[in-house]
Amino acid sequence: MNRERFIRQRGNDWYQYEQIIKHLRGTPLRYWRSADVLALSRLYRSICYDLSLVQSREWGAQLEQYLNDLVAQGHNCLYRSPPRSVSVLPGFFLTGFPALLRKRKLAFLLSLSLFTVPLVVSAVVAYLRPDVAEMVAGHETLESAKQNFSEQHWNVVDERYASDRSKMAGFYLKNNAGISFQAFALGVFCGIGSALILVSNGISLGMTAGFVSSLRDETASNFFAFIVSHGAFELPAIVIAGTAGLVLGYGVLCPGSRTRTAALQHHARESLLLALGAGMMLLLAALIEAFFSPLPVARWIRCVVGMCLWAIVLAWLLLARPSGDESSLQIARSDEERPDHEN
Amino acid sequence: MVRCGVRLASVYSNGQPTPRRYSMSGTSKRKVDSRILVETPEGVDFEFVLAGPGKRSAAFIADLFIKAGFLSLGVVLPLALSPGRPLIFGVGVGLWLALWFVVDWFYGSIFESMWNGQTPGKRLYHLRVIRTNGTPITSASAIGRNFLLAADSQPLLICGLYTVGLISMLATRRMQRIGDLVFDTMVVDESRERASSIREVVEEVEPLLRSECTRRFAVPERTLALIERLFDDTRLIPDGLREVIATPLSISIRKRMGISESSPIGWNLNGRSSGTALRHTYFLLRVLKTFSSSDIGTPGPVSGGGGRSE
Repeated sequence: MNRERFIRQRGNDWYQYEQIIKHLRGTPLRYWRSADVLALSRLYRSICYDLSLVQSREWGAQLEQYLNDLVAQGHNCLYRSPPRSVSVLPGFFLTGFPALLRKRKLAFLLSLSLFTVPLVVSAVVAYLRPDVAEMVAGHETLESAKQNFSEQHWNVVDERYASDRSKMAGFYLKNNAGISFQAFALGVFCGIGSALILVSNGISLGMTAGFVSSLRDETASNFFAFIVSHGAFELPAIVIAGTAGLVLGYGVLCPGSRTRTAALQHHARESLLLALGAGMMLLLAALIEAFFSPLPVARWIRCVVGMCLWAIVLAWLLLARPSGDESSLQIARSDEERPDHEN
Repeated sequence: MVRCGVRLASVYSNGQPTPRRYSMSGTSKRKVDSRILVETPEGVDFEFVLAGPGKRSAAFIADLFIKAGFLSLGVVLPLALSPGRPLIFGVGVGLWLALWFVVDWFYGSIFESMWNGQTPGKRLYHLRVIRTNGTPITSASAIGRNFLLAADSQPLLICGLYTVGLISMLATRRMQRIGDLVFDTMVVDESRERASSIREVVEEVEPLLRSECTRRFAVPERTLALIERLFDDTRLIPDGLREVIATPLSISIRKRMGISESSPIGWNLNGRSSGTALRHTYFLLRVLKTFSSSDIGTPGPVSGGGGRSE
């Protein structure tokens, strides 16, 4: 067979194949007709054969390029990632996520200490020497904290409350979840970025807490009554986001028997899931912080609710277990261990 | 691009892990440009053209504008609805901030999971994110690689300078930024503009005449394929170098066909006259034009290939 005969013979199939691909590309997956898919996979295989024939006979770069493009397009159509339904997400968040976190115990403890040690130290420093706190955290920050918590801001739940707090909900989400995702992403620099974020957040929170405690009036109790309920989600979430970053950094620093890139890729998936879980927690935290924390109800009620939330979160993180093996840890693994080409 | 290509070639020859290359003819095919080979389960190798930092930046900037568009739409709505209604205004601003958050962190991943590896900007520039084994991107990888933009955009001054990402792209074989490396993806260029380049190059060339030739008026297909490859990407091989490569080929083809050493028409690829400097290149182009004309040499079957079959 010479080249021209080959092209004449096969051209029809190529044309048909192109038409099918053009059609399928414009249609969502669930409307694909089985006849099309069957025809496509048959044609795809034959065109793969054509391509290798042209490659081996060296029938020209143009023809090869053309067939190569055809194969690439078909490959893209046929080998999609399996559509993973969103319905696994709640299950993952409830049980798989805490299990994943417990699996990364060491990173979590390291992250926890990177956050709490600076927090405690700076709280003690600020409590004993408010002037140092002002130097470190800045005068305005502390003044505004003082103003915010010196009295109950909201006395009634009205339209103004709803309006203002909705605004703040958006702000809290954007700010806090942004920081946590950053803590995850910057972990890729050997974990240093995450550590910096953890430490700096620990210091600024500790400074504020120590400073308002040193005021010895209503402010301190207002502050803690405000912070306790959403803190149940927010503080663990920050530490978990830091954990995610440290896991990435661990992949870079200690690749073990893998290449550094492979180690990074190996740790990345679990790390990403941790970061996403932290994001979910921060979404909850933002809602609580916006609508519940400043509620004009007695302090003790908010404290009791906050304590309950802490108990729930801790119990959840420590005890939740995926039932059976259909855990979401599988989410973490499935991609990695899936054979590369699977229909 | 060219510099990158040369570097790629050197990596290949260093015995780094390379994709399997076919070598039916005994000669291994060296890649000297930004192409990457992927083997399908059907046992065929096909290549993707990697997208370099230039095109990717362009797509990225287009995406920035689209993001800004989303956000400004989002701010117009609550402002338009709110006069006299503080509740709607507050909720609107809250939702807008939430939208900002989503656009900031999930714009790329939402589009890349929905559109099989493309964002609007990437679609505009015919780029696509795929996994390094050639399979389509998964949602998890899409989310992860876009989260890691926060690392690639370092160092941050007023906005991200993306120095980390750029350096990473230049330093890796598949031109991956950190996010691509970590989540095992790469960005490929799907535009077919290269395919038409030969047709353009051959356009202003006169075909050989049978009367010029004293022996067999034919050139083997493999030789033609070789010549085609020589002109495959005009950006990649400088004219002078191509002339050097073309010289022995041209001389032996002339000898074989019995064409006398004449036709010293000055010519070069840009149409500028430069004496006889590129006459061997020109001769090869004439050969190409003459023997791979009509339905074969050009990317013929691309359109209406069906019409030509019996």
